[in-house]
Amino acid sequence: MAPVAPRSGDAIFANIERVNAELFTLTYGAIVRQLLTDLEEVEEVNKQLDQMGYNIGIRLIDEFLAKSNVSRCVDFRETAEVIAKVGFKMFLGVTASVTNWDAEGTCCSIVLEDNPLVDFVELPDNCQGLYYCNILSGVIRGALDMVSMKAEVTWLRDALRGDDVFELQVKLLKQVPEEYPYKDDE
Amino acid sequence: MIGVGKIKQYGNVLDKPLAKGKQEVSLSAFAFLFSELVQYNQTQVDNIGELERRLEDAGYAVGARVLELLCHRDKGNRRETRLLGILSFVHSTVWKVLFGKVADSLEKGTEHEDEYMISEKELLVNKFISIPKDMGTFNCGAFVAGIVRGVLDGAGFPAVVTAHFVPMEGQQRPRTTILIKFAEEVLRREARLG
Amino acid sequence: MQFFGGSEISPSPPAPTASGNNGHMLYVFNRNGICLLYREWNRPLHTLNAQQDHKLMFGLLFSLKSLTAKMDPTSSEKGNLGVPQLPGQGCSFHSFRTNTYKLSFMETPSGIKIILVTHPRTGDLRESLKYIYNLYVEYVVKNPLYTPGAPIRSELFNTTLDQYVRGIA
Repeated sequence: MAPVAPRSGDAIFANIERVNAELFTLTYGAIVRQLLTDLEEVEEVNKQLDQMGYNIGIRLIDEFLAKSNVSRCVDFRETAEVIAKVGFKMFLGVTASVTNWDAEGTCCSIVLEDNPLVDFVELPDNCQGLYYCNILSGVIRGALDMVSMKAEVTWLRDALRGDDVFELQVKLLKQVPEEYPYKDDE
Repeated sequence: MIGVGKIKQYGNVLDKPLAKGKQEVSLSAFAFLFSELVQYNQTQVDNIGELERRLEDAGYAVGARVLELLCHRDKGNRRETRLLGILSFVHSTVWKVLFGKVADSLEKGTEHEDEYMISEKELLVNKFISIPKDMGTFNCGAFVAGIVRGVLDGAGFPAVVTAHFVPMEGQQRPRTTILIKFAEEVLRREARLG
Repeated sequence: MQFFGGSEISPSPPAPTASGNNGHMLYVFNRNGICLLYREWNRPLHTLNAQQDHKLMFGLLFSLKSLTAKMDPTSSEKGNLGVPQLPGQGCSFHSFRTNTYKLSFMETPSGIKIILVTHPRTGDLRESLKYIYNLYVEYVVKNPLYTPGAPIRSELFNTTLDQYVRGIA
């Protein structure tokens, strides 16, 4: 059986069930609002959003793999491209671009011009420290973690804070080989 | 930010046409986000009732906002003032915007004058659900009940709204019924309008 | 890949009758070796307790993967035997057959392992395993009440899976 070529983000997005982005955007807004009420501190909300993203990432990776026919993620460069071109398209219907590679090929930027999380959003004065889209960095971190890539994901630019685009820096810390999970005497 | 504080108005957001509403995301993106809403709220509560109440709160914020958006788009800013009008607005317009279809049915309760039911064979938020036995009657539809309550409240029709599974003959999966019980003042006003 | 002799097994068990009784059992493991699901349809012999059984199955796959990659004649970049690999690195096997059963195996880059044990004469089940992976995604991963890493308790998933396996083996 010849390996099946990975499908393009557009092809997947055209063939899956979709919902109005507004339901998604407003639900996300309701989550952020709930966290602000529960946690009060903006810094805590940032952390919680990242954690929630991580939790989503470790699930979403399987949907991604099942639908995209991607059968291996060993090379980080390739993986970053796939996240931007296939991942963002398949889930959010938008495309992202990968730029700013460092010489070692372990650090790059994912740039997002269109971001359905932030339609209708303005940061009120008391939330200026909020990384409203922090869930996205968590998702990427969680998904990479499941394919054995420990990564650090940070915001370099945030359109809600006056930048022109959203830019996430993804830095590969290490690739973790698979190990036998049991001790011999267990 | 959605539903938080007074919105500070930058040129940026106002420049965006509010009326588009045509963009889509994948259903699974929503499913994962919704899952996380449920998972997070499970860590914040001691029992199923509280969990449903918190999901309903989250839904309420969505509903209030949906009403704003729809009123804004409907240029005339016409407001529904009659009970049946607002119900059909929820059952068709709101449902279509949020779930891409009109709800399966809208019925009047047979036992109580003040009760109405919107039913859906497969409510979006219950599509992927499998309720473990120890969670009893828990229904994620509480979120949608919250949306409905948010819309109704914003339009001046306060009500108690709850979500229930109703077993269907010959079907493996129960349908979800959103039960709307209007406040007394709403019915009195409706009676006055004749 | 085939173990323990060629395709002509003697005495050969009766060919699958398409009666839907040729699926023996199914395992789903996550990347940490936790058995998320064990289904059994047809298994007369139990010699181990469930936990030992799962661990042995996981160990079998783990060693076999490592060995098959080590013996790969086409690739020059192989670590020493037992040196851990990155998931997706090296070649991988997808089934083996004994005179009494066939084991089909699939592993995703996220470390989910699906193992289906069937009658030895069952055909290529790679597409079926992919389909089961899709069922797992739809009914388990997207269930808002499922916690990743926990054993699967979804009745909906189990009944759908049972039905599907009856249809293929």
